[in-house]
Amino acid sequence: MRTLKYIGRRLLVLVPQLFLISIVTFTLVRMLPGDPARLELGPLAPEEGVELLRHQLRLDEPLPQQYIAYLQRLLQGDLGRSWVNSSSVAQDLLVRAPATLELITAGMLIVLVIMVPIAVLSASPSRGWLARATRRISFGYGVLAGALPDFWLGLVLIFVFFSVLGWAPGPEGRLAILDLPPARVTGFYVVDALLAGNFDTFESALSHLALPAVTLAFVYGGPIFKMVRASMEAALRSDYTIYAEALGLPRRTVLLWAMRNAAPPAVVVTGVVAGYLLGGAVLIETVFNLNGIGRYAVQSITTADYAPIQGFVLVAAVFTMMVNLIVDLLQFMIDPRVSARAS
Amino acid sequence: MSARKVDEDRRRQHSSASVTRHSAHRSVIGLWSRLSRFDRAVLVVFVLILIIAAIGPFVAPYPPTVADPLQRLVSPNGAHLFGTDENGIDVLSRLIAAPRTDVLIAVIATTLSVAIGAPLGVVAGYFEGADRRAMRWISEGTLRLLDVIQAFPVFILAMVLVAIHGTGPVNVVFAVAFVNFPVFLRLVRSEILSLREHLYAEAAVALGNSELGVGFKHLLPNAWPTVLVQVSVTIGFAVLLTAGLSFVGAGVSPPTPELGAMIASGAKFMITGQWWVAMFPGLLLGLIVFTFAAMGDIVGKLMEPGQRAMPLRRLLSNARIAPAAQAEHAAPFAQAAILSVRGLAIEASGRPPILDGVSFDLMPGEILGVVGLPGSGKSILVRAILRLLGHGLQRRAGHVFFRGKDLAELDEKALRAIRGCEILPLLPNAKSQLNPLVRVGDLMVAHIRAHNRCSRRQAHARAARMLGAIGIGDVEHWLAAYPHELSGGMAQRVCLAIALVHRPPLIIADEPTAGLDVTVQRQVLDLMMELCHQSGAAQVLATRELGIVAHYCHRVAVLDEGLIVEMGSVRDVLLAPRHAVTRRLIAAADLRAVSAAATTNTSSKIVP
Repeated sequence: MRTLKYIGRRLLVLVPQLFLISIVTFTLVRMLPGDPARLELGPLAPEEGVELLRHQLRLDEPLPQQYIAYLQRLLQGDLGRSWVNSSSVAQDLLVRAPATLELITAGMLIVLVIMVPIAVLSASPSRGWLARATRRISFGYGVLAGALPDFWLGLVLIFVFFSVLGWAPGPEGRLAILDLPPARVTGFYVVDALLAGNFDTFESALSHLALPAVTLAFVYGGPIFKMVRASMEAALRSDYTIYAEALGLPRRTVLLWAMRNAAPPAVVVTGVVAGYLLGGAVLIETVFNLNGIGRYAVQSITTADYAPIQGFVLVAAVFTMMVNLIVDLLQFMIDPRVSARAS
Repeated sequence: MSARKVDEDRRRQHSSASVTRHSAHRSVIGLWSRLSRFDRAVLVVFVLILIIAAIGPFVAPYPPTVADPLQRLVSPNGAHLFGTDENGIDVLSRLIAAPRTDVLIAVIATTLSVAIGAPLGVVAGYFEGADRRAMRWISEGTLRLLDVIQAFPVFILAMVLVAIHGTGPVNVVFAVAFVNFPVFLRLVRSEILSLREHLYAEAAVALGNSELGVGFKHLLPNAWPTVLVQVSVTIGFAVLLTAGLSFVGAGVSPPTPELGAMIASGAKFMITGQWWVAMFPGLLLGLIVFTFAAMGDIVGKLMEPGQRAMPLRRLLSNARIAPAAQAEHAAPFAQAAILSVRGLAIEASGRPPILDGVSFDLMPGEILGVVGLPGSGKSILVRAILRLLGHGLQRRAGHVFFRGKDLAELDEKALRAIRGCEILPLLPNAKSQLNPLVRVGDLMVAHIRAHNRCSRRQAHARAARMLGAIGIGDVEHWLAAYPHELSGGMAQRVCLAIALVHRPPLIIADEPTAGLDVTVQRQVLDLMMELCHQSGAAQVLATRELGIVAHYCHRVAVLDEGLIVEMGSVRDVLLAPRHAVTRRLIAAADLRAVSAAATTNTSSKIVP
């Protein structure tokens, strides 16, 4: 009951936030010098067409009406048209979103499955070889992470694993040039290929995903890694862990209970990092030629195609907001102190 | 306003004042000697980067912007150490010229972010707790607006801002400054919020300064150290952002030497094998970002006050004390004793011992008080008996025998079986001893099952009975509670229940009543003594309060600077103290409480 109430209240906050975001994206286009209708249709469109669109977008009316018109179009899922390939922006984003989500999901999986356990192990004071090895890894990683630019790391990985070793495919997109994408179910090629039982495509998709995902995980997993390690260390050194040891509780219980305390800060930091992930995806997709929404945005910027930029910014903000929502809900579930304060 | 808060305030004020004084007076050498080797390397690189950023274009061996078509994509050799790029320009020369662009943009942008963010942060911080509703609304509104701005991913926001205004260094500066100013606003705001709670802020307001004026004049300077650390980190981040923008073509355009653009132009050659064009700019970029981030850490470390306060004092004071001449105590343990400590010496690695030659015997059912000034080693003694020294401390000499077994020689498993079953801890500030994310019941059940084979249900029932036995009503409610729902007294009662559930022969208590108010203290202690008496448990009771010792203990040991300076029956020691420390402790205590209780303390008779 309390949980439901909290979720309800948290969702209510979302409404004004989304509202504000729409105002920001709306003004973003108003900030542009020149006529939005002209910008949307591009420099080559005839004057009559521009005039028509101006009327359609109600640009000949005062600003508040224009905003309402913008909002109405948003609610209908209309994000305008790209003048470069004269396609619907909403459609374009929808087609490309799975590639980006697949990249982000794969990267976060690597962080969760490989990096977080290493961080936890390296925090333990034990003198075993495993703890020592992970401590060494975590020191080296701590020095590198956060400093290496993601776009450059991607290039180095391509150089090493494609040009020199030949283990991974080059930056040719999500599949080899001759591969056909699997039937669309989730939009994730790796999953769809498996569902279709097409193992060649699966392998191809996975190998094309590997380097970008590793790049994303390496660069953006850094803060998560450091936070997990630091909070695990703090938890292991804290009074309650010493007390639990003094009570002779089994080692496993002591560790698990310490980990519970390391979880909330790790979740918070993951939320913060997730906000940067789309930005990272922009660069990594550009490097690896993945046809996701990030690369779409970059292309639109180079061609001064404003409707897609506006659409992408909106999607990015909503994505971040959703991540924050999920983080808050997770916090609520794992930390009784948060839920006590919230209600 | 409690005395402790005043004290804390004074300390904080003092330390922040001393930081500025120190940093002004301390010579460069003094600073240098406090840095680790790693930090020194970072500092050297940092200075190098600044120099290159300042004079780079003038010292480059080749002109960094003049193309030479005959020298395209030459691999690294003697003439071109890092090779040449697709225009035939020496990569090394471009590398030397490039940091100027990146670092300059980052520094200007970050300065701008601070200039916008810090004052707004002060205002937001002050308005937040203001009496007038309008002010609170402004502060609240600012923060919510920030939420929205920060909902836009940083890189994307910067990219779009540049795209709208057109590429070029100036627009990159504005974009980078814009996306970073919320960081400083929030930082300064939270600093102000915590600083304004301090006494000197209240004092300044009471002296007739305006609140906002105090914020700028007295509080903002105190927030600078934190801000400075963030500035360094942000500059590194801004360099990365600038390079990223240039990489996607929304930043500085190619003829100008710039690291991101260099990597972008070298990207296609990475695949065909001419790795040097993009490799070296990336390495340099990484080095710059890392150095600025590490500088942030170093600045933070140097500004941390009180890092060196404590160990030095102990170092000096202990050096005066001759090594413990207590070898005669190192005889084998007494047969009847439940606990025999022999010549125990504990040290932090490389420093003089914290405990030295501590020896005593504890008979079954006996209560030994361990008293001493704060920092005399009481807590360390308690931890050493439990063999829980933790990080950085180790046993240098001596033994702890429990029922004739040397605890140091037990393996993990045997030790676990004794800890929590036969030797039970009772530690200060019970609330912080309980894991905040574990329900009281779960802890009790796990503890019962760690030493007894029984089902979860049986353990739960036993935990409930135990809580009932020490007078806690509504047992199920408290078993389901998390520690934050407990009062300090309730938490200590729970710990007491945990300590007694296995009817242990020995309880090791360290300030068991710290943090409890006086009436609760009394209740908890009475309960503890009564239950210990029933089950015949012996106790080591470390405390600062002689009143407690006089009232409850059979014997007392006085600890000073890690040595036992006096030990005997309560009556003897407290009524006829022989050592200066004992006299000081007695003088500091409430005299009537001590002497009256010590006079009526009859326990010396039952001590064997």
